[in-house]
This record gives sequence, structure tokens and C-alpha cells, in this order.
Amino acid sequence: MTMFRTRARGDHDTGPAPEALRLVKVSRTYGTADSAVTALDGVTLGLGRGTFTAVMGPSGSGKSTLLQCAAGLDRPDSGIVYVDGTELTGGTEAELTKFRRGRVGFVFQQYNLLETLTVAQNTVLPLKLAGRRVDKRRAREILTAVGLGDRLGHFPGELSGGQRQRVAIARALVTEPRVIFADEPTGALDTRSARQVMRLLQEAVRVHGRTVVMVTHDPVAASYAESVLFLADGRLAGRLDAPTPDAVAERLAHLGDDVTAGV
Amino acid sequence: MFVLAMRSIRHRPGRFLATLLSAFLGAAIVMTFNSMHDTAAQDGVDPVSSETLGTAAGVVGGYGTLLVFFAVASTLTVNVRQRAAELELLRCSGATPAQIKRMVVGEAVAVALAGAALAVGPAVLGGRALLGMFQDSGQVARSVDHSFGPVALISGVDITLLAAAGAAFLAVRRVTRKSRQRSGARRLLAWAALGTGAVGACSTFALSATDEVLMAPPAYGAILLSVGFALMAPRLLSGVLSGLPLSGASGWLAVRNLRERAGHLAGILMSLIMFTAVSTATLTMQAVENDAVAASGLVKSVDAKNLETLNLTVVGIIAVFVCVMLVNSLYAATTYRSREFGQQRLAGATPGQVLGVVGAEGLILTVTGVLFGTVAALAGVVPFTVVRTDGVLPDQFFGVWVAMASIAAAATLGTSLATARQVLRTPAVGAVTLAA
Repeated sequence: MTMFRTRARGDHDTGPAPEALRLVKVSRTYGTADSAVTALDGVTLGLGRGTFTAVMGPSGSGKSTLLQCAAGLDRPDSGIVYVDGTELTGGTEAELTKFRRGRVGFVFQQYNLLETLTVAQNTVLPLKLAGRRVDKRRAREILTAVGLGDRLGHFPGELSGGQRQRVAIARALVTEPRVIFADEPTGALDTRSARQVMRLLQEAVRVHGRTVVMVTHDPVAASYAESVLFLADGRLAGRLDAPTPDAVAERLAHLGDDVTAGV
Repeated sequence: MFVLAMRSIRHRPGRFLATLLSAFLGAAIVMTFNSMHDTAAQDGVDPVSSETLGTAAGVVGGYGTLLVFFAVASTLTVNVRQRAAELELLRCSGATPAQIKRMVVGEAVAVALAGAALAVGPAVLGGRALLGMFQDSGQVARSVDHSFGPVALISGVDITLLAAAGAAFLAVRRVTRKSRQRSGARRLLAWAALGTGAVGACSTFALSATDEVLMAPPAYGAILLSVGFALMAPRLLSGVLSGLPLSGASGWLAVRNLRERAGHLAGILMSLIMFTAVSTATLTMQAVENDAVAASGLVKSVDAKNLETLNLTVVGIIAVFVCVMLVNSLYAATTYRSREFGQQRLAGATPGQVLGVVGAEGLILTVTGVLFGTVAALAGVVPFTVVRTDGVLPDQFFGVWVAMASIAAAATLGTSLATARQVLRTPAVGAVTLAA
């Protein structure tokens, strides 16, 4: 397998790619033979730098698969994924992990914070693992920005769901990744906490210039994004710019009616 | 609730395997040795044979009971802790604490019963082999036949059931109450064990070199000291951790994991300490004794031989048992960490780094366990050697110690790394959503 890398990790900040994420004819099938399920069916899309995109669709439409393939957590059966202009290659998990470091950050529905580490330790963990210098002051700044400056020494078990998700966002921001992938980030939160989390993701895009791709079920959460991509049966089924909750809900309700591809 | 208990066993047989294994092993040991009581109680057994059999059964049977309780308790505690989410769900669906308790205790009793039933066959064979061993060394008359009777059966089943029910009861109470007020009692017990152990070891000096019971006080002293250390395991571990300057992401994570999970790791550390202490102390003392007898040019009496056989059997059984428990509980604990490993990987850890964390944890555990086990063993070996010979530290100690420490390290590191490797085969995303 050849490593096709247009640019090395070091000079990211001098010349970032115009497109933060590009998928070309990405397909992913689970299972074998007659029980095979096509989760992604030749999806092609490109997302510009500094954009905030929500991916929506009914259950089983391939949203999560799309996110996992784009983030290098899963390998597509065919097609190419570019993150920040670099092709996602590498066969082993270690290679994929090293690719993700510094390029990709995650926010999950279930937070996925390590229970044995404090808020501050959880936040700097990706830096530690990547062998990068740990800037404690910077970590504290980020945690203060998400409203947890006074919770540095707490353990995740001592925090509310909304607070845990904010720690997860701080952790995703600390490595200064090109793209932040969020999988149902508000799925387990009350409306107030969900609003805070969505504002923070918005800030990550507007203030810090990150690119955010978010999978969600919730039209209200999706309305914080700049545009919404709809997915049905593993294919793109439309796009909505400057979404409002009502428009998103309306579109979702009629997603099955007109299966037209194209973005 | 009992129906629910049966159903949960039938549908999740895998998670009861650890409990079944410890109940099976425990019941087998208890039955094997208690069948010596049955054998001795037969008509026409001469008094010498009867005494040998009775001593063997009494000593090892007593140990066995303790071991069974300890082993079943440690696996059940792990089992119940890992099911905290399921039990919480049951509570939310309207189960009262008493119902949950009945369910968990019911499951434990059912599994223990199965373990005891499975153990009957091996125990009969084991009993025959043991009797054969005594006959070969001339301690028991050839005419004595092995008998597997009511004492063996009843004691084996009762002890296993009692241990399982008691341990399950305590474990589930600890989980449902979510409080830790028992640490006071535990500390008291630990200090009591350490105190009695020290007194036992020191009382060796009151005996003379030729006393037949010379080996008993230091051996019991070492065992009690190791129990004391084992009970204090979480605190000892914290103490060791605070003095560890580990660099690198894996070491950093390992230290933090161990610090937070010190309480959960007590069982593993307990096994390590007891294994090292009991095996090193007994084997070294027996070697010293053998050399001393050989040097004096005397021939061993039946009693001395008896003691040697017993010593070696006891230590063999304890060592194997504790080793199995160590592997058992490490396997269960590591399998359970699948989600945690997934979270580490999603945070940017390569599989190699995760294995590095597990390896570093295993290493710290082994070093801590062996360290305190060695202290306990020395507390028995040194007084014995001083009284029996002219030296302080016997030459045999080092060899035995290296062998036992290597076994402990191999079991700990081997099990945790092999299990972690297997756990890492699940993709990270799957691993974190699996148990959620």
C-alpha cells in the first residue's frame, strides 16, 4: 500500500487544504452474501474548511457509517477519503490511529471519557498519547472556555451529562484538529445542556476555525449547523443550507418521497 | 426472582464460568482431603494410618475451606461489580434490594452446586491418588482402601454452598449500598493478622532446633502476615504508586488507572502476595529442614516424613489454586475493560499503547505483590533458619524465590496481555457502544 500524502503533518498550519474533508465514491457493506447490508452506496461529497455540517437521515440510513468511514474509524470497501487534503490510507489500526491524531477530533453521544482520569487529565490525554508537549495552561484555557474552569480535578463520574460532553469537546479541541466529528452529541442531554453543547460546537467553527461534521437525529441540533446533508439508504438525498428546525423536520418527514441524489 | 436467576444463568453461561471454576476447584480440594476422614473412619484401619489421614484432612481441609471462601468471594465480587448496570436496571424496573439480593445469591448457589457436583468425580480420583501417595511413603498401611463417604460429600457441598451464598450476599450488599463503611473492619482484621503473624514468627525463637513443631509457627506466621498484607493491598498499592516516576503515555495512564482502581485490584494483589509468601516460605523451610536432617546423619521419622508430604501438598495446592484464581480474576477483570480500551483508542492510543498500559499495570502489580509476599516469607524463613541452623538467610531461599517470582510474573503479565490482545480485536467504536 502506498502512502499518498500531499503534505507532511508539520506544515499544516502554513498551507491547509481548501477542503477539510472529501469523500469519493465511498461504499461500505456489512455482512456477507445474502445477508449483506449496504450502509453506504457510493457517497461523494466535499466539505470546505471552517464549515459546520449536520448529517441527517432516518435510522439505518448510513449516517454513523459515513462518520466512521470519514473519520478513519472504519475502512470503506471502496472509494477514497481525504482528510485535510491527505488521503486516508494505512492498513493497521496503529497506522489509522496515527493518521487521526492531530487531524481528527471526536465527540460521542456517550462522551467516552476515561473514568479513572480527572477532567484536566482527560483533556490532555490525546496529546500525551501522541507524544506531544502538554501545554497545561492552554488546556485550562480551553476548559475555562467550555465553562469547566473550576472542575479541573473532578472525575467524569462527578459531572452531569452536559458537563461531561463539554469535557469531551475540550478534549477534541485541544489537539487543534482539522475536523471534529460529532456523533449524536446531544443524544443523551436535556435541552438546556444540548443548547450549550451546540453553541460550543458553533464556536469551534466560528472562533477557532475548525470544521465540524455532526450526525444527529434532532432537527433543533441540526439547525445550529450551516448546512444539513440528508442521507437515505446509504445515498445522499439532498442538502439544506441555513437550516431552521422546522425546515429540517419537514424535509426529514418527506425524505422517502423523492430519492434524488446530488449535493 | 429465582426463576430470573435461573434464566440469567442459562442465557449468560460465560460470565459464570469464573465462579464455576473456583467453586469446582475449591469443592474438589475440600472433598479430596475430607475423604481422608472417611477413609480413616473405616473398620480395621490401624491407629498410625488413621492419625496420618486425620492430620492431613484436618490441616488441608481447614486451609481448603479458607481458600474456597476467598476464591469464590473474589470471583463473585468481580462478577457482581461487573453487573452493576444490570442490577441498577432491575432496580429501576421495580425490583426491591431484597429481590436483587435473592437473585444474586440464588445464582451463586446454583453455580456453586453445579461446581460441587462436577467436583465429585475428580475428588474421588484425587483422594485415591493422595492415599496412594501416603501408602508409597509408608505413612499409611497398604491394606487401607480409599473411601469417599458422607464426610467428604457433605463437607464439600456445604462449604462451597456456604462460601458462595455468603460471598454473593456480601458482594451484592456492597454494590446496592454503595458505601464503604466496611473499611474499618477490614483494617482491624488486617492489623490483627499482621500482629498475630509477627507473634507467630517471633515465637519460633522460643523453640529449640529439634522440636518437631518448629516449622509450624514460622509457617503460620508467614501465612498470617501475607493475609494481613493482602487485606491492606489497596493502601500498599497506593503507597508504591506515589513513589513511581513513570514516563511515557502508557506508564502515565497505568499509574492513574491503578490509583483509581486500587480497591478493585485488591483481589489480584491478594493472590500475588499469598502465592509468593506461602510458596516461598514453605518450600525454603522444607529445603532447610531436609538439609539439616541430612547433615545430622539421621533418618527421618514417619512424623517428619508426614510433615514433609503435608507441607509439599499444602503448598502445591495453595500455589496452584491461587495461581488459577489469579489467572481467573485477571482474565475477568481485563475482559471487562473492553469499553475502557475502546475509549483509550478513540482518544488516540494505538493498540500497542493500550498493551503498554496493561503491561505496565501488570508489572507494577507483580512487583508490589512479590515485594510484600517476600517480606512475609522472610518473616517466616529467617527465624526458622536462625533456630534450625547457624545461618540467617539460607542459600536455598534465593533459588526458590526466583522461581516463585517468575511464576507470579508470568501468570500476571501473560494473562493480562493475552486477554487484552484478544479484547483489542473488537473495533474501538464497537467496543465503546457494546456495553453502553
